[in-house]
Amino acid sequence: MSTHRIRFRWAVAFLLLGLWWVSAGARPADTRGPLVVSPDGPYVSIQEALAVASPGSTVEVRGGVYTGPLVVEKSVRLVGVDWPVIEGNGEGTVVKIVAPDVYFGGFVVRNSGDSLDEENSGIAVEAPRGVVEGNRLEETLFGIYLREATDTVVRGNVIESKALDVPRRGDPIRVWYSSGAVIENNVVRQGRDVILWYSEGLTVRGNRVEGGRYGLHFMYCDDALIEDNQLVNNSVGAFLMYSRRLHLRRNFIAYNRGPSGFGVGLKDMDDALVERNLLVDNRVGIFVDNSPREIDSVMTYTRNVIAYNDVGVQLQPSARRNRYEANSFVENQEQVHIAGGGQLRDNVWVENFWSDYAGYDADGDGIGDVAYRPQRLFEDLMGRYPPLQLFRYSPVAQALDFAAQAVPLVRPQPKLQDRAPRMVPVVPSGVPAPEGRPHVIFGLGMVALVLGGVALVGWGGRVGGRVGSRRGLVVASVLGERGREMQEDVNMDPMVRVRALTKRFGHFVAVRDVDFDVARGEAVALWGANGAGKTTILRCLLGLYPFEGDVVVGGYHARWQGREVRRLVGFVPQELSFHDDLSVEETLCFYARLRKTTPALSSDWVERLGLEELAGRIVGELSGGMKQRLALAVALLGDPPILFLDEPTANLDVRSRREFFELLQQLRGAGKTILFSSHRFDEVAALADRVLVVEGGRVVSGGALEDLAAVLEDGVVVRLAVAPGQVEEAVRVLRKLGLEAERNGTGVWVRVPSCRKVEPIVALAGAGVLVYDFALEPYASVSVGG
Amino acid sequence: MDWTNVRVFASKELRDARRNRWFWLYTAIFASLSLALSWMGMAGVGGYRVAGFGRTAATLVNLVLLIVPLMGLTLGAMSVAGERDRGALFYVLAQPVTPSEVLAGKFLGLWLALAGSLAVGFGLSGLVVAWKAGVMQLGSYVALVGLAWGLGAVSLALGLLVSVVARCASTAVGVALFLWLMLVFLGDLGVMGTAVVLRLRVGQLLLLALLNPLQVFKVAAILAVRGSLEVLGPAGTYAVRTYGVRLMPLLFVVLAAWTVVPLSGAYLVTHRRGMV
Repeated sequence: MSTHRIRFRWAVAFLLLGLWWVSAGARPADTRGPLVVSPDGPYVSIQEALAVASPGSTVEVRGGVYTGPLVVEKSVRLVGVDWPVIEGNGEGTVVKIVAPDVYFGGFVVRNSGDSLDEENSGIAVEAPRGVVEGNRLEETLFGIYLREATDTVVRGNVIESKALDVPRRGDPIRVWYSSGAVIENNVVRQGRDVILWYSEGLTVRGNRVEGGRYGLHFMYCDDALIEDNQLVNNSVGAFLMYSRRLHLRRNFIAYNRGPSGFGVGLKDMDDALVERNLLVDNRVGIFVDNSPREIDSVMTYTRNVIAYNDVGVQLQPSARRNRYEANSFVENQEQVHIAGGGQLRDNVWVENFWSDYAGYDADGDGIGDVAYRPQRLFEDLMGRYPPLQLFRYSPVAQALDFAAQAVPLVRPQPKLQDRAPRMVPVVPSGVPAPEGRPHVIFGLGMVALVLGGVALVGWGGRVGGRVGSRRGLVVASVLGERGREMQEDVNMDPMVRVRALTKRFGHFVAVRDVDFDVARGEAVALWGANGAGKTTILRCLLGLYPFEGDVVVGGYHARWQGREVRRLVGFVPQELSFHDDLSVEETLCFYARLRKTTPALSSDWVERLGLEELAGRIVGELSGGMKQRLALAVALLGDPPILFLDEPTANLDVRSRREFFELLQQLRGAGKTILFSSHRFDEVAALADRVLVVEGGRVVSGGALEDLAAVLEDGVVVRLAVAPGQVEEAVRVLRKLGLEAERNGTGVWVRVPSCRKVEPIVALAGAGVLVYDFALEPYASVSVGG
Repeated sequence: MDWTNVRVFASKELRDARRNRWFWLYTAIFASLSLALSWMGMAGVGGYRVAGFGRTAATLVNLVLLIVPLMGLTLGAMSVAGERDRGALFYVLAQPVTPSEVLAGKFLGLWLALAGSLAVGFGLSGLVVAWKAGVMQLGSYVALVGLAWGLGAVSLALGLLVSVVARCASTAVGVALFLWLMLVFLGDLGVMGTAVVLRLRVGQLLLLALLNPLQVFKVAAILAVRGSLEVLGPAGTYAVRTYGVRLMPLLFVVLAAWTVVPLSGAYLVTHRRGMV
């Protein structure tokens, strides 16, 4: 062939090449630049651009909504700009990549179908060496599905599944027969499982998986590297199954507490290395089940921090060849749990830190000089009988452990032994734990709670409110409406009507068949010895005791209208028992509120009772006389028409008694109906219009004072209070006079004729016996009532 | 019932609680322990501020189980019986009030005091949680506080019943302490022993345990904080699977019954034999 001919052929070839190049340059699929898809063209759909794209082309998809499904059958780069949305309209898989070496990134892929059987996905990759990067997947059933997509990279995607119940969700990332795949820096929320099947040499790095079932789930995947991930708030952080030589390191695995609730679960695993992970606040930090499987296999756990879990490590008693070295077990409720109880053998526990270690380090080498041997009785019981876990967190659990420490007899065998426990924890660096930041809203809530608590306790500072003025202590004429009506209407009826009143305390009959009336404005005395039943009658009249019979006070039945009765009655008890820590003012205000009385001015009574200057005094510091006046002031709150007084002068000296009776006489003069009990004849004589003699729970007679005098004809008993140490002397002196005298506790009683009542006192004074006080009682009542 | 009187008595009880050294002692103990436990629970590990909120909550549950019944039972037991011993109760009842108003007022006042005391403790503890924790569960925490208040109500109701029935304050306090011992330790111990010896089925064990209001509180608190009862083993799982979403309302009802029944008992006793 000549040289000329050869040159001609080359020229033709160049010409053809040039023509091809020119013709090719005239088409949109120009390899010199990307094919642009946008709502404004030149291509308005991704499918249209892909149809003309060549392998290796770049298809740039601008922001907008594009309808799926999209099938990528060419090895192209699909690049989203301004977050173009590929909308699946709720049907099938949204994006399917079936060509190798496809790059797909920068898209929003949303709304796949929801068929679990068809495995509807956001992005399904079914060819090798793809890259799925920087996409957002929303409302997809399965997220990114690698099916026989070896060496594919899934990176930097954000995947949120459909809001379905967990079992009905798909897997946000699923890897199936895709060895060499790299899953990194993805964020997965609310999915089911990030699950990896039958794939070797996987790398799972820097992902955050939260709110799912299994954060990571490895099945039959050997030689995987799992590092720098955050697996939080899932049911299980990472469940590793049926795999060899997995390397789990520097992961933050926390708050996994759903069903199962394992931080890391290892089932039928061999030669795994679990190191430098933070396992925090899971139900179980590390769960080991039948691992390792093979006889020459060893599972190694080292330099992990296992903290604040309910159970640090849980394994079966059959577990062998697990090596736990230099881990830190910090404040787990149960550091190591053996399912089924018992002890662990052929496992190595060495140089771990145990927060409940109670040994010491005398030589300062950082290693405890005494072996760590957990011997908790409750843990042992839980292991033997798992339902007892119900009592976790109960004080009884600690009590049992304490008992086991105190009583060696019940102390269980140690479940494990670490001969060289560390004194300080080993904390790995570089674990991607989230920054703990103060939580402002929570904090504010807590401040409110504290302040609320303080305010709540402080609120009870004033029991009675405040009076209007310092002169407002006592007692407005504020009686209930019914009281006013009653004062006007019952002029003709007895104010108090008692019929067949009987009161029993068990078998003891304290009051029996008592009948009497008290007319309006009348002062009636219940006179009798101590224990005769006077107080019980008054209490029944107030409706304080259940009783038999009929008692009507001011038109109200005491048995079932006690409140109304008490509203009409001012009561002074025998024992003055106020709240001793209240002031006089507070006491009056407290009772005024109970009586629905406004503590308005009634300075007349304030002055008469002499309470004004006592307003600020604490009641507990008052004398008996002052308390008695206060009791009368309380009784007069609301100006009730009736007064019940139970031995009102029992605690008063002679002068106070006289003053008090003067007040009572004024009240009687003011028209009050007064029923009072007393065993003192002088009091009865001073105040009563009529006397009811009470003996042994009965009213034995009733009528004018003369009736009482008749009773006294049988003689009276004079009770004498004498100086301590002179009782025997007093008895001797009185008997020497021919009187019937007996020691009565710290005093003396002596029977004398009614006309010789003063004689014992005079005789004792003459003999140098100091007499402090005396009281008179009818002889008959003493003999009956005691 | 006259609610004005109830309010007066409640106010009085609050004031009395404020002046009660036992009350302040309980408050101080609860606040300091909850604060310390939260601090330790949320201290983190090494340089990591990782929080053990769940652990802290569990510890608080444990603390509540110990302290709150003690507070409620003893304060309740002392209230009626103490005033009856001093005679002050009789004097109060001689006013136009009813025993049920006194009971209701005492219960309300003591419960408010108790709730305030617990609020201080939980609040301080919560401040530590807020400061330290990276993961917050405000709802869970609030639920825990609410349940503790509920347990306080149960304890107070039981204490008031003891107080009404007992002859004197010392007897009432003694019975209350025994009751505390029963509820906190002996009852559970008995159930545990029975379960182990008789090999009770898990449902039977759960039923027996939930006869104790403290266990009811605990189960409810763990359910509120954890969202599941897996931590309580087979019995916990059984409870969730058997009762499902009805479990929490059911526990509330049981706690409420443990409050209402003793209070009703106290009312009946006072109605039948008087309060003094």
